[in-house]
Amino acid sequence: MMMKKNLSRRDWISSLTGGMGALGLASMFSEDQLRAASTTRVAAPAPAAPKFPNFTPKAKANIVLFMVGGPSQLDMFDPKPSLLKYQGQRPSSVDLRTERTTGGLLPSPFEFKQYGRGGVHVSNLLPNIASVIDEICVIKSMYTFNPTHTPARSLFHTGNIAATRPSMGSWISYGLGSENKNLPGFVVLSPGQGGGGGLARSGFLPAKHQGTYFDDSVAEPDKMIKYLQNKDLDKDSQRRQLDLIQSLNQEHEHSFGQDEFLEGRIQSMETAYSMQFEATDVFDIRKESEAVRAQYGDTPFAHGCLLARRLVERGVRTVHVYYGPGQPWDDHSKIEKNLKERCPDMDKACAALITDLKQRGLLDSTLVTWGGEFGRTPVSESGDGRDHNPYGFTMWMAGGGVKGGMAYGETDEFGFKSVEKNVSIHDLHATMLNQMGVDHTKLTYRYAGRDFRLTDVYGEVVRDILV
Amino acid sequence: MLALAAAPLCAQNPSAEFFEKEIRPVLADKCYGCHSSKLKSPMGGLVLDTKAGLRKGGNGGPILADNAKSSRLYKALTYNETDLRMPPTGKLPEEKIAAFEKWISAGAPDPREDAPAGAPAPVSKKGMDIETGRKWWAFQPVTEMPEPKVKNSAFAKQWTKEKIDWFILAKLEQNKLKPSAAADRATLIERASLDLTGLRPTFEEVKAFEADKAPDAYEKLIDRLLASPHYGERWGRYWLDVARFGEDNPTSEATNPPYPFAWRYRDWVIDAVNKDVPYDRFVKLQLAADQMPGTSRDDLRALGYLGSAPIYHTDLRLSKDVIETLYTDGWDERVDAVGRGIMGLTVGCARCHDHKFDPILTKDYYALAGVFASTVPAPRPLADVDKETEQKFMFASQRLFFLSYLANLMNNEPGSKPDDAAKQVVKFTKEMEEVRDSMAFLKESQPEMWNYLNNLAKAPQPKKAKPDPAVAAATPPPPPMPRPQIPAGGRRRPGGASDLPFMQSVFDAGVWINGSDPDLTLVDIKPGVARDMNILPHANVASPGPIVPRQFLTVLSKGDSTFKNGSGRLELADRMFSDAAPLTARVIVNRAWAWHFGKPLVSTPSDFGVQGDKPTHPELLDDLAARFIAHGWSLKWLNREIMLSAAYRQASHPRADGIAADPTNHLLWRMNPRRLDVEAYRDNLLEVSGVLDTKPAPLSEDLDAADNHHRTVYGRVSRGRLNTVLALYDFPDPTMSAPQRDLTTSPLQQLFVMNSSFMKDRATDLVKLVDPAPDNAAKIRDMYHRALDREPTAKELDLALSYLSKGSLTEYAQALLATNEVIFWP
Repeated sequence: MMMKKNLSRRDWISSLTGGMGALGLASMFSEDQLRAASTTRVAAPAPAAPKFPNFTPKAKANIVLFMVGGPSQLDMFDPKPSLLKYQGQRPSSVDLRTERTTGGLLPSPFEFKQYGRGGVHVSNLLPNIASVIDEICVIKSMYTFNPTHTPARSLFHTGNIAATRPSMGSWISYGLGSENKNLPGFVVLSPGQGGGGGLARSGFLPAKHQGTYFDDSVAEPDKMIKYLQNKDLDKDSQRRQLDLIQSLNQEHEHSFGQDEFLEGRIQSMETAYSMQFEATDVFDIRKESEAVRAQYGDTPFAHGCLLARRLVERGVRTVHVYYGPGQPWDDHSKIEKNLKERCPDMDKACAALITDLKQRGLLDSTLVTWGGEFGRTPVSESGDGRDHNPYGFTMWMAGGGVKGGMAYGETDEFGFKSVEKNVSIHDLHATMLNQMGVDHTKLTYRYAGRDFRLTDVYGEVVRDILV
Repeated sequence: MLALAAAPLCAQNPSAEFFEKEIRPVLADKCYGCHSSKLKSPMGGLVLDTKAGLRKGGNGGPILADNAKSSRLYKALTYNETDLRMPPTGKLPEEKIAAFEKWISAGAPDPREDAPAGAPAPVSKKGMDIETGRKWWAFQPVTEMPEPKVKNSAFAKQWTKEKIDWFILAKLEQNKLKPSAAADRATLIERASLDLTGLRPTFEEVKAFEADKAPDAYEKLIDRLLASPHYGERWGRYWLDVARFGEDNPTSEATNPPYPFAWRYRDWVIDAVNKDVPYDRFVKLQLAADQMPGTSRDDLRALGYLGSAPIYHTDLRLSKDVIETLYTDGWDERVDAVGRGIMGLTVGCARCHDHKFDPILTKDYYALAGVFASTVPAPRPLADVDKETEQKFMFASQRLFFLSYLANLMNNEPGSKPDDAAKQVVKFTKEMEEVRDSMAFLKESQPEMWNYLNNLAKAPQPKKAKPDPAVAAATPPPPPMPRPQIPAGGRRRPGGASDLPFMQSVFDAGVWINGSDPDLTLVDIKPGVARDMNILPHANVASPGPIVPRQFLTVLSKGDSTFKNGSGRLELADRMFSDAAPLTARVIVNRAWAWHFGKPLVSTPSDFGVQGDKPTHPELLDDLAARFIAHGWSLKWLNREIMLSAAYRQASHPRADGIAADPTNHLLWRMNPRRLDVEAYRDNLLEVSGVLDTKPAPLSEDLDAADNHHRTVYGRVSRGRLNTVLALYDFPDPTMSAPQRDLTTSPLQQLFVMNSSFMKDRATDLVKLVDPAPDNAAKIRDMYHRALDREPTAKELDLALSYLSKGSLTEYAQALLATNEVIFWP
């Protein structure tokens, strides 16, 4: 047990340094090597984990576009003519308990058309997403298990209502390791702490798998990443300081004797040093052309989407982009006005991300998932809003081996409850892991006496939507 | 309904095919888990994987009927009855239920052929039975062991110092290894000081210890360190990992706000460890101080262990089932914390089914969960009031908190039935006033208690119509509504710690979730009434099983162990130190061993069950545990016993023969070299730069505050947003009891070391301290004394001086503080 742990730590340290540990320290980071290091991907098997991927993965990376608050499927993807027909009425089939008191059926004020080869419905709120619908599979029959924000968000991220389990990004990092030694394997981009914090926790998994939060409401990397830059020393002076540290460390190790921890820390100092420059470069979306930046737009969510592409391009496994801060999609009232204000930049950035990934040949190996913690009710709240709805709502997926131009599943006549080809949040997780090459029943971690899984004892891969 | 019409219509001619296609997959997937002939005791006596079992039905009678709609099976599937719902993991889709209806109506044709009677019984997949379990090693009595025989008795005589050493030496001999030589005196004083106080000795202390030739110099050092007030700060923090101490909740919303007085529990732990309160009493106080006769007011702070436990937000507009699930999750947390933290047993595994490995039954789980379903958190006054007043206060504060939450909820978010909501606001407000007024007797005698309640009882402000924008621009916005949970007044820090005279605590009251109002779920709290829980198969609150009385774990109980006194917290605590004393003692001795040596004897410190590891030195563990009990469960006795051993005093340098034979040092052929944990690292950086405030800090302060120079143990611990530096250096997740810390080395830590203002400030401070020294060489020497307790070597001095030809002293100082030696614990 301990032996395994020790060996794996050594593996891990060597993975951090990309196997360059044997080279002399001083020569290790010439400019050329730094450049080489930033473009070379070093596959690092996860320590102590079973071997993953356990079949050929479709996707190397996954991006989650998370609409905090619960976006309205009825106004974007799931048209229900009956809402207009029975406007204001309250048929018994919609008497499902939600968080708040609701009234009669509220028709959508938006117009739907069918797009692409599959004739997928999209409302006029989302013209750009409609234009790339042939890359997208719209899942209309999602359901989850709690109608309140925090437990439902926790369900989406961890598969459990208690906000203490590992996040899916941590599970993926644990199972698949990192492809870039200088960047975290699981990144969360959010203005402020997305969705209340804690959703990127590694729980009982080793702490190194926890998600790293970055604030994408600013464009400057040094404001985004704590401790990333040395404010006092230029690169040469810093190198000189580090050389001193390493000389002293070598003196110390020489007198103490060879030790894993001492060696590991020497190596990780070097990694940190190079990370300062690589991360500063990666996280700087200002390095993109004007044309590309214009394509995405200039809002925090657009920055997040563009940054997500830059990160997966460099081997980051999981990027979660939050549409925040707070829970903007929680439209308990004035939903028409709110959606008109909020959809344009979301629509533009999502479509730009898909187009951009496709143009760079990355879409096939990047799974993009869009959605919120739940959807919204067909019945009104406060006359012009919609309450939370975990019984039936829409998410969509694109790339990563998922079929495009299709809609999957159905909700009932009023769009309240999923009734056909239902997809639970656990099924979604199973499918996401599957596309990353991981059998969700095999990705387990022994904790407190039993094997835990992201999908607990549930989850089936939704094979019908896969290429 | 649409789906039903679309369902396959082959049911008009039901056949084997229909069973195979529609029925068997559901049975196999959803039912066999609990209703299989392969199980020793299938749930409800019902077996569905044989034709005979299906026909026969279960304890509740046959499950099939001519009229499908009146059959038990159909009724269970439709979820229409509250206590007959299957499968427990969730209702089947309508089309599946329709298929079952058709199948039952058609006479439930079942093409399966059962194995003939007398076929070999299938192998049980169940865990250990209770009788076998009673023989499990960790449950056996602990007895003092004789010193094991060693071959080289001359060496043994010369090397051993304590009884511990004989056990270590015997194992080393068996593996043809020798122990390492004793560490040098500088290392010894450094090791021991960090171990017992978390602080390095000063350079002068090292020099004095090196010069002290008295034979008992080391013993005296250990005794001095054990008497230091910093001892409790170090060893108390170890306990706080196990106790999953935190000052708020993972989400901290309206019904699970932060705990402003949790820091008083932390301080109690530090005090109690300093006073060497016997471990049995130390734990009992944390579970049941309020039920132990003669407990001092001060010791009631111990109940923060339960009173600041993590809980979940419960939006009471949600259904009874959702609220009940969240509450049972909370009780589960306590069962887990006590089970793993104190007894080293994964009792939580028995929540959904009998434990798959250990002799722990589902009924044991719910017997313990009932204790916590009968225990309610509420602040308790520090003031020494009589018991009746105290109980009234705690119940009133609990009630006012709920009423105020409900009144505010209905007031601020009236939904689409504003008239009903307004009526409820009036109703809740009225009760709030009544409860408050019933406590008016406190006004004169205990104004702080009165103010606390009065602040909780603030009626919600009526909602105003949207103000005229012109008027709004001219008038400043009104101050935001105070959050109901933290009363105004007192000194408060950001994040909510308060020095008002209260502590986080609990009182005995049964908790029931009341679903009688379809729009608002209520929580009924009945003081003085205990709640026995129903067994909830698969943890599903919608299909409760039989009620089980609160009692201790069957496998560990000697005789009738039902709890009769209130919630049963004290009886639970007592049983852990009587019936289960050998287990409980082994668990804490093993933890203490790990805190001294860096590695435990049982490598799974919170799992002494079948899946845990066995001890590397079983006799040693038993002997220490037996003597620990004989010495009155004294932790300081145990510390001393371990630290005086020759095994502990060994050098930690690598040795080729040791590395080759035992690379992980299971056998202790050397001391384990270690990395400092975040507390010791941060504290020592503050220490060497001369700014550490060694006094205990009241309240709790953000560790990121530049002027926070208190010891790290006094920093704020948030379960929702763990401080960056704590997270960076592997502080355990405070939402759950931590078995041990998994210390890692990551580049992000080094970014902190190279670039944080904290490290820069330390370097600047250190340079200021050495400023009086006449020249650079003297300054460097002074820095080495302060940071590393030693002289620089000639080469190190050379490196420093040549660096200073281009770089500044501050840059040098930061480099020195960034070296491995500063974070290393040899």
